[in-house]
Amino acid sequence: MIEVQHVTKRYGPVTAVDDVSFRVESGQILGFLGPNGAGKTTTMRILTGCTSATDGQALVAGYDVFEDPVEAKRRTGYLPETPPLYPDMTVREYLTFAARINGIKSAARRERVAAAMARTSVEDMADRHCGKLSKGYRQRVGLAQAILHNPDVLILDEPTAGLDPKQIIETRELIKELAGDHTIILSTHILPEVAQTCEQVVIINKGRVVAVDTPGNLTGRLRGSETIRMAIDPLGTDPAPAIEGLAGVASVTAAASDSDSVVLEVQCDEGADVRRELAATVVSSGWGLLELTPLRMSLEDIFLELTTSENPREDDPEPSGGAEPAEAAPEEQVEAADA
Amino acid sequence: MRNILTIAQKELRSYFVSPMAYVAIGFFVFIYGYFFVVSLNFMVRVSMQAGMMGGPQTININEYMMRPLLGNMAVVMLFLLPALTGRSYAEEKRSGTIELLLSSPLTGPQIILGKYFGALALFTLMLAVTLIHVGVLFIYGEPELGPILSGYLGLWLMGGAFISVGLLISSMTKNQTVAVMGAFGTALMLWIVSWIGDPSSGSTTTEVLAYLSILDHFDDFSKGVIDTKHLAYYLSFITFGLFLTARSVDSERWRG
Ligand SMILES: Nc1ncnc2c1ncn2[C@@H]1O[C@H](COP(=O)(O)OP(=O)(O)OP(=O)(O)O)[C@@H](O)[C@H]1O
Ligand SMILES: [Mg+2]
Repeated sequence: MIEVQHVTKRYGPVTAVDDVSFRVESGQILGFLGPNGAGKTTTMRILTGCTSATDGQALVAGYDVFEDPVEAKRRTGYLPETPPLYPDMTVREYLTFAARINGIKSAARRERVAAAMARTSVEDMADRHCGKLSKGYRQRVGLAQAILHNPDVLILDEPTAGLDPKQIIETRELIKELAGDHTIILSTHILPEVAQTCEQVVIINKGRVVAVDTPGNLTGRLRGSETIRMAIDPLGTDPAPAIEGLAGVASVTAAASDSDSVVLEVQCDEGADVRRELAATVVSSGWGLLELTPLRMSLEDIFLELTTSENPREDDPEPSGGAEPAEAAPEEQVEAADA
Repeated sequence: MRNILTIAQKELRSYFVSPMAYVAIGFFVFIYGYFFVVSLNFMVRVSMQAGMMGGPQTININEYMMRPLLGNMAVVMLFLLPALTGRSYAEEKRSGTIELLLSSPLTGPQIILGKYFGALALFTLMLAVTLIHVGVLFIYGEPELGPILSGYLGLWLMGGAFISVGLLISSMTKNQTVAVMGAFGTALMLWIVSWIGDPSSGSTTTEVLAYLSILDHFDDFSKGVIDTKHLAYYLSFITFGLFLTARSVDSERWRG
């Protein structure tokens, strides 16, 4: 379990993290999204004790990271943005050292190191110096170091950065596998990754949380009114007026057309599901229905919508603090962004 | 305790993986040998002159040879030890490996002491190797063991003080070169601080400055006197240096 309450971090005049609160339940994966410089790394460094917060409180695995840092760190595995490898150690030596400082008894060390290397598929590099590894392997050795002591909490800063496609998939699988008995926070710039791996998303911009929700809810809630894309072979006629006339259709725009097909984007009234009517109209007119797809807002669209508005929280009421920041904040945020 | 040892081992290992340790030991022993031969020649000349003038045939090896020799080595340490400790924190901060240590369940003092003892171990090794030369003296002459041992103890303590300064300065920067220069500058300041005052004036300021000087406390050791006053000076110097390092590491956490 990870709980972050009103954490603020200032670097002189720069506020890197501004009153951030969220909560990750045991065994869950939380995706941490935000543009460059949003404060993701800073938040993670605070949670792992690499830096202190100016204000606020954070609990990791039941221990306050400021009051009881050693106990909290014992239960945390951290993969920093740049994997912290000693160039002159071999991978095995490095992991053995990491095992020692994490208090793994010498009897179990060899086995744990081997297990971590196997899980991150770095065995073939076991005797290579860390300084001579490729970027992707560094990342994997960094991950091996983080999971080595089987910590309750994993904090992974861009774990798939620099990996090849096969490794990205394997790492995602590994992360999903680890969830369950580990609580995980991962940051990433790859949005589909969040949709695939995370149960919860925190979107942060300029140090402030702008949304906390599940990936599904986030896409659903922001969708607002639905757009349906259809491709029709109208046999030379113009299909638009017939469709515009249907109940529940707000507007129709022609997106593209060529000799034997027309692509329309049909904007529906809020809450109306007109897919059946659309299909029926096309068929009864004798046209060919080539495609009918509801257009959902992708996580990318939402991300951009939430993070590109100039001052996302300017006209927002006080963020509802207290017991359930994770529940309360996104409601307001999403609405604000929607308006 | 085990954690301190783990870090110390890692530090010592990193000195030996790079050519650093070999260069340092080699350089130290070479310079030592050079001064050794020079002061041996000097002593032989002095003792021959003394013989011609009807004085005693043998003169005190401790007084004429070991004392100046160890004094010279103290100067060499002033240059060499900052170079050794410079990378200690600075390099870890630059490369980001410090985050491995900071996010591990080690406490700040454990990391600092580990780094300190790692560097101290290398320095101890450097000193130990020079004992070969001293062994030669015992084969061909009859030096007194006491003053040599106390002289080495003095050197060792002084080296320990330099290392704690070096660690402190290294903890304040990400740049190794800055760390080395800064540590050298600080150590030099502490070395010559007694020159500021006028010893004949006997004012309190002069006395305080003389007390601070890292060099003045070495004198008695090289004469064969182990005075608890000087022992206490070096030990508190080292402790204070390590304490400031802990503060510096901590304040770094607040700032960066
Ligand atoms: N040590 C530091 N000193 C001063 N400012 C800092 C420091 N570290 C980070 N910052 C500032 O804090 C803000 C947040 O940085 P952070 O590294 O947390 O962003 P991020 O979300 O991880 O970005 P990215 O996606 O690029 O990794 C930035 O404005 C950055 O300039
Ligand atoms: Mg970052």
